[in-house]
Amino acid sequence: MSRIVLRDLTKDYGELAVVDPLTLDIESGSFVSIIGPSGCGKTTLMRIIAGLEPASSGSVEVNGALPSVARANKRVAMVPQQPGLLPWRTVEANARLLLDVNRGANPPGATDPLDLLQEVGLGDFLRSYPHELSGGMQQRVALVRALALHAPLVVMDEPFAALDEITRSEMRLMLTRLVDGRGATVVFITHSIPEAVALSDRVLVSSPRPGRIVADIEIDLPRPRPDDVEDDSHFVELCARVRHALHGGRV
Amino acid sequence: MNRRILAPVVGIVAFLGLWELLVRVNNVRPFILRAPSRIVRYLGAHPGDYASATWVTAYHAFGGLVIALTVALLVGSLMAASSFMEHATQPVLILLQVTPFVAYIGSVVLWLGSGTPPVLFITGLVCMPAFAFATVDGMRGADPAARELLASVDATRLEVLWRLRLPSAMPSLFTAARYNVGLALIAAYLVEGGNFANRGLGSIGKRAAALNEGDALWAAVFAMALLGTVFLVVISVLQRIVLRWHVSQRPPRPNWN
Repeated sequence: MSRIVLRDLTKDYGELAVVDPLTLDIESGSFVSIIGPSGCGKTTLMRIIAGLEPASSGSVEVNGALPSVARANKRVAMVPQQPGLLPWRTVEANARLLLDVNRGANPPGATDPLDLLQEVGLGDFLRSYPHELSGGMQQRVALVRALALHAPLVVMDEPFAALDEITRSEMRLMLTRLVDGRGATVVFITHSIPEAVALSDRVLVSSPRPGRIVADIEIDLPRPRPDDVEDDSHFVELCARVRHALHGGRV
Repeated sequence: MNRRILAPVVGIVAFLGLWELLVRVNNVRPFILRAPSRIVRYLGAHPGDYASATWVTAYHAFGGLVIALTVALLVGSLMAASSFMEHATQPVLILLQVTPFVAYIGSVVLWLGSGTPPVLFITGLVCMPAFAFATVDGMRGADPAARELLASVDATRLEVLWRLRLPSAMPSLFTAARYNVGLALIAAYLVEGGNFANRGLGSIGKRAAALNEGDALWAAVFAMALLGTVFLVVISVLQRIVLRWHVSQRPPRPNWN
């Protein structure tokens, strides 16, 4: 489990300010979504937390350490927007990719991704190549690849953005089941309000660039989330709150 | 018979048939152009000489290709890793590509002595640029999402090279290999000819040309063509095995034009 603490974090590329001073505390083991318009610096923020980019000023701590240290110790698992599967590797080998590099930092508990692949319904496709899979199946491999690391922090950058609505809601259910009880801290970036509400303990709403958190909404839906959570009237209400915040109070 | 084998055989037979027909109908004199049947007869009369010479040339061309590929992977990896290296190396590679290597065969023979070393040196040298450019392009084209992913677990440069960049370069390396096969064979042939201590097809060809023995010369040309075909078949088979994951190796969909 990882606690993430940001203090007065900013990021700019020369003239272009991408993240306004941002102070944020993400509790260990919580699922936090960041939702906001395109170009509001969500991906940049995620890359800073994952230790892939330095902040311009301010500080970031992942479980008391610098993000770069967490990265070197494989304490951060990433699910990118594009699955990024290697076309020459089978499903099984792709799921193992992150365990195959920087092996020295593999946690002692790192288990075989085979069980996870079974769990997400890819048990019959272990020897298949990515081009033989549908988009949803490819993204499931990407998910397993990240979770197989057993990292205390998982960052996901719009992992379901390229999927159709039906596949997306299936993935939502699957992700809830996979993450519930695993204890990892998840930072999830999305454009979809129902997705954010269904998955999260907390939804952070960002303004257009430079990104500023304009609302911090607690999602007090029960855990583990029931499969029909989206039919709940409280769910609908929470979605409306997020939507209002996103549109700056305008509906 | 499999269509993939049948089609090229039909093409070659038709080409040779047309050639034979043209020579016979127009009664072309042999010192201008020989009929293929005559060349094949000559080859059949001297099988041992040509078999051993073909073997020598095959060894030279293959050796040159291996040297070129090895050096190019090294040079290409450095070029892909640093744009300064790329800009510094590019003009030299282009220079190597456009300089007529025939012009410096003599110097290389004087430098390395006669026999195999100058053949391997020049063949390797002229085939290297295409492999190096293919390496750079392929490595640069590696999926950025996968690159980011490997960075997220702090994979070393060597791991990224081995797990991502090198496999990404495979398709373009095979394309370069097809192009280089012809170049390697021609380079081997010409350097063998420029240095009489060899027993390759180039030596036979050069001697035959000097002594005005047309049949022997054309037989060498035929043996070269056969060798080139064998090289290309081997590369195609390798490509189908190594690149079975690649889009180029998948059958087209029924309605594609």
